[in-house]
Amino acid sequence: MISLAGRDIMNAWGKFVFTGLGLGLLIGVTLSMAGIYRGMVDDGKALLDNSGADLWVVQKDTLGPYAEASSVYDDTWRGIHAMPGVARVANVTYLTMQVRQGDRDVRSMVTGVMAGEPGTPGWPPYLVAGRQITRGHYEAVADIATGFNLGDRLQIRRNHYTVVGLTRRMVSSGGDPIVFIPLKDAQETQFLKDNDAILQQRRRTTANPNFNRPQIPGLLEAVIALQSSNAYVNAVLVQVATGHDAEEVAQSIRRWKRLTVYTRSQMEEILIGKLIATSAKQIAMFLVILSIVSAAIVAFIIYTLTLGKIREIAVLKLIGTRNRTIAGLIMQQSIALGIIGFVVGKITATLLMAPIFPKYVLLEPLDSVIGFVAVVVICILASIFAIRAALKVDPAEAIGS
Amino acid sequence: MKRFPIQKRTLAILVVLLPLLALFVYVALRSGPLAPVPVTVARVENRSIAPALFGIGTVEARFTYKIGPTFAGRIERLEVQVGDLVKAGQILGAMDPVDVDQRIRAQDAALKRAEAQLSEARARQTYAQTQARRYKELLSARATSEEILAGKNNDLQIAEASLSAAQQEALRISAERAALIAQHHNLSLIAPVDSLVALRNADPGTTLVAGQAVVELIDPQSLWINVRFDQIHARGLSANLAAQIVLRSQAKAVQGQILRVETMADAVTEEMLAKVVFDQLPEPLPAIGELAEVTVALPALAAAPVIPNAAIQRNAGQLGVWQVIDGDLQFTAVTLGDADLEGQVQVREGLEVGDQVVVYSAKALTSRSRIDLVDQVHEVPR
Amino acid sequence: MTGKGIRIEGLKKRYGRGDTAVDALKGVDMQVAPGEVVGLVGPSGSGKSTLLKCLGAVIEPTAGRMILGDEVIYDNGWKVKDLRALRRDRIGFIFQAPYLINFLDVTDNVALLPMLAGKSNAESRKQAVELFKALDVEHRAKAMPAQLSGGEQQRVAIARGLVNRPPVILADEPTAPLDSERALAVIRILNQMARKFDTAIIVVTHDEKIMPTFKRIYHIRDGVTYEEAGEGRGFD
Repeated sequence: MISLAGRDIMNAWGKFVFTGLGLGLLIGVTLSMAGIYRGMVDDGKALLDNSGADLWVVQKDTLGPYAEASSVYDDTWRGIHAMPGVARVANVTYLTMQVRQGDRDVRSMVTGVMAGEPGTPGWPPYLVAGRQITRGHYEAVADIATGFNLGDRLQIRRNHYTVVGLTRRMVSSGGDPIVFIPLKDAQETQFLKDNDAILQQRRRTTANPNFNRPQIPGLLEAVIALQSSNAYVNAVLVQVATGHDAEEVAQSIRRWKRLTVYTRSQMEEILIGKLIATSAKQIAMFLVILSIVSAAIVAFIIYTLTLGKIREIAVLKLIGTRNRTIAGLIMQQSIALGIIGFVVGKITATLLMAPIFPKYVLLEPLDSVIGFVAVVVICILASIFAIRAALKVDPAEAIGS
Repeated sequence: MKRFPIQKRTLAILVVLLPLLALFVYVALRSGPLAPVPVTVARVENRSIAPALFGIGTVEARFTYKIGPTFAGRIERLEVQVGDLVKAGQILGAMDPVDVDQRIRAQDAALKRAEAQLSEARARQTYAQTQARRYKELLSARATSEEILAGKNNDLQIAEASLSAAQQEALRISAERAALIAQHHNLSLIAPVDSLVALRNADPGTTLVAGQAVVELIDPQSLWINVRFDQIHARGLSANLAAQIVLRSQAKAVQGQILRVETMADAVTEEMLAKVVFDQLPEPLPAIGELAEVTVALPALAAAPVIPNAAIQRNAGQLGVWQVIDGDLQFTAVTLGDADLEGQVQVREGLEVGDQVVVYSAKALTSRSRIDLVDQVHEVPR
Repeated sequence: MTGKGIRIEGLKKRYGRGDTAVDALKGVDMQVAPGEVVGLVGPSGSGKSTLLKCLGAVIEPTAGRMILGDEVIYDNGWKVKDLRALRRDRIGFIFQAPYLINFLDVTDNVALLPMLAGKSNAESRKQAVELFKALDVEHRAKAMPAQLSGGEQQRVAIARGLVNRPPVILADEPTAPLDSERALAVIRILNQMARKFDTAIIVVTHDEKIMPTFKRIYHIRDGVTYEEAGEGRGFD
């Protein structure tokens, strides 16, 4: 037995391939949409992965440091370090802001990392160029998504930083690229707005008679110094020693230090469950609609193709072709169309669509497999209408009247 | 199908579908999570590195003289401006003396009166002495009675006591006057050393409390930089090391050296403090409070296995590197030694010279990662 | 697959029910012997198509008998279970327009029937090619239907009708789109084939050009057939 579907496709393969291409673009958009969703989730996970932490110690009763503002004293880490089960701790600050370089500025998350050696929590876990920060001040490691290059001079608030290293896929949960700078600079950055703001604050303080008392020389200077120092960080990152359970360590920090502590899974819950939940749902809905539209379009295409063959189908039936064979013809064509569409879709999504999105698009192989299965299932379902129409064809129609 | 002829159509189908399929396979395997990770590798080198320390400091004056009144008062005049060079002993200004001059004149009058009283007492004493001597001779000639002589002697003693009192009174008054003059002198604001006026806090007419500085003087020769080094990066910091100083206002580096490392570290900021002096003071003088970046070069170390710090990663709680052995990845724990500021780190244990380690990778590696050796993970323009 | 041709006795077909019922066939008698080509002629609405559809086992008659070869296939009800197989194996169809399946090449258009009957591809194609030799379209065996001329298409259609060696072939206006020369050629082929394969062929037509070729002609009028002797200038 020959493959009727194959012969039909071969006969009109140009039309078929073009239809498949069109469908492929639609599937490509659908896959990209899934990729955007995965990318959002992955951005959140990348942030957690890249921080290298097992626990996040944040201000009591906040969802910090990513979903809410949080500040803890910058010497809190010492007490935490002494807790049993804690292997490494590091202060960290996060501040999303515009980082200037020359004439342009880039929205980035400036992350302050504690001085130390590579591998300290909070440090970029890997680089694609350059080196890690070695100086305690005014050096930066930037994500390549910022567009910065090695040796570039960045301006963050009042200070200039030299880019010494580049990294990749270091983004905030919102997809903004990260710029790593030394913690002490970052603390200052977080507090110091700009020179004007500092001056105005000084002036306000000076104008306050409670602080500016002539009979107590030095009081004003002390107050201003106090105002312009920042002894806070946003979170303390903790790595748990091997053999200790993260939740147990978290519990003891919560109990004895009276701070809020999140484990990795809780943090993921916050980031993915709270921070990006609505956007994710938005995209998920779009995905569902796109899938329905794709299904409808496949159904229309197959239905139209089948209607174009009504005469052949009548002849086939008249000469004794089984219904199963005719249904197979239509379904095989539908599936073939789906496969061409999927292949084209996967290629366009990967090579054409994903790279042009400003935010990360993650095309997971598993998603592709699910997408493939979905496409096949949708094609099978979509072919049902056409099959019904074909089976209703009366072989008598072939006999003239 | 085997009888299906190879027609033009079949060829066309192959021409379209095969590349599509090939592209699909490429896309499925070479992109996304299944793709091999591009990495660059480097060999562990045996070489000497010169570690260096990097700190941030501010320009300060070693000696700062805050000149002000010792008691509350009002500034009468102030003759110097910021930037003036002053000599030791030069009067910079003066406080309003209020009544000191009048009190000195009163003391002058009182002194004169005391001197008059003193001459009178001296005259009385001379007369009483003469009388006492004469009656003593008269008594030896038996021309008077013992009683009268005793009376004259008594007169003499009284006169001497009055003289002594008058002398002390005169001394007291002159001392008081001297005190008032000293006080008057104290109203002047005087430069203690040759120095530069750095700050002028108040203008004539301003009332000040005791101890409040009117001007601040610094010794320009004594400028130094108070540098803070993070404690974690301060190994090897000691006095007399050469230091390179970059002032924020001047791009060019100037040379200096560490004068001393402070015994007291900053417990709050976790920093060590050190004082760095210029070998030669830059011209123009740096402003007090200017930010300076200080790099302290430590002596070069003996050659040892060295890797770039970008290669160091933490995996399962261990610090180490990804080694490439026969094309496979293997995580090797290492013990690190000294590092320099250019990102080279000594490896004490774990690696041999010539071992291949991953420096850059396009994503985090695991032992199951497939890798693709490339020259550059990220195109660096220029 | 040769048999005793086809015989129809008192075949009736009623469309609809009750008051609106229409009797399309009111008792048709017909017999065609193997190797014989008969004409079936009638004006529009005479029941010609209905008869053809009944013969083709596409619609079910209301009453009567149909005997194909020596098997009663209808006797006031179908006596054969698998009508599809019946159509496939024992009735050949040749249509007004050739109605070839245009996504299959000429060989496979014909070979499809034996394939559907369960024969291997190679054997089916062999059968088809043999017929092409007889029908003189062998040189077009690999062409697509759209590349053929009308006459060639009709010959391929005839090959398809013959390929399973059915005892009866129903030809519905097989010459309508053809000029008289080609029409006569088609009839000649049908006659040759009927004799060669011992097949009864019923040619439904109103083509005057070919009327004289039939030895017997059945006229159908208002659902009843009348037999008439033709000129019989068949082809020997």
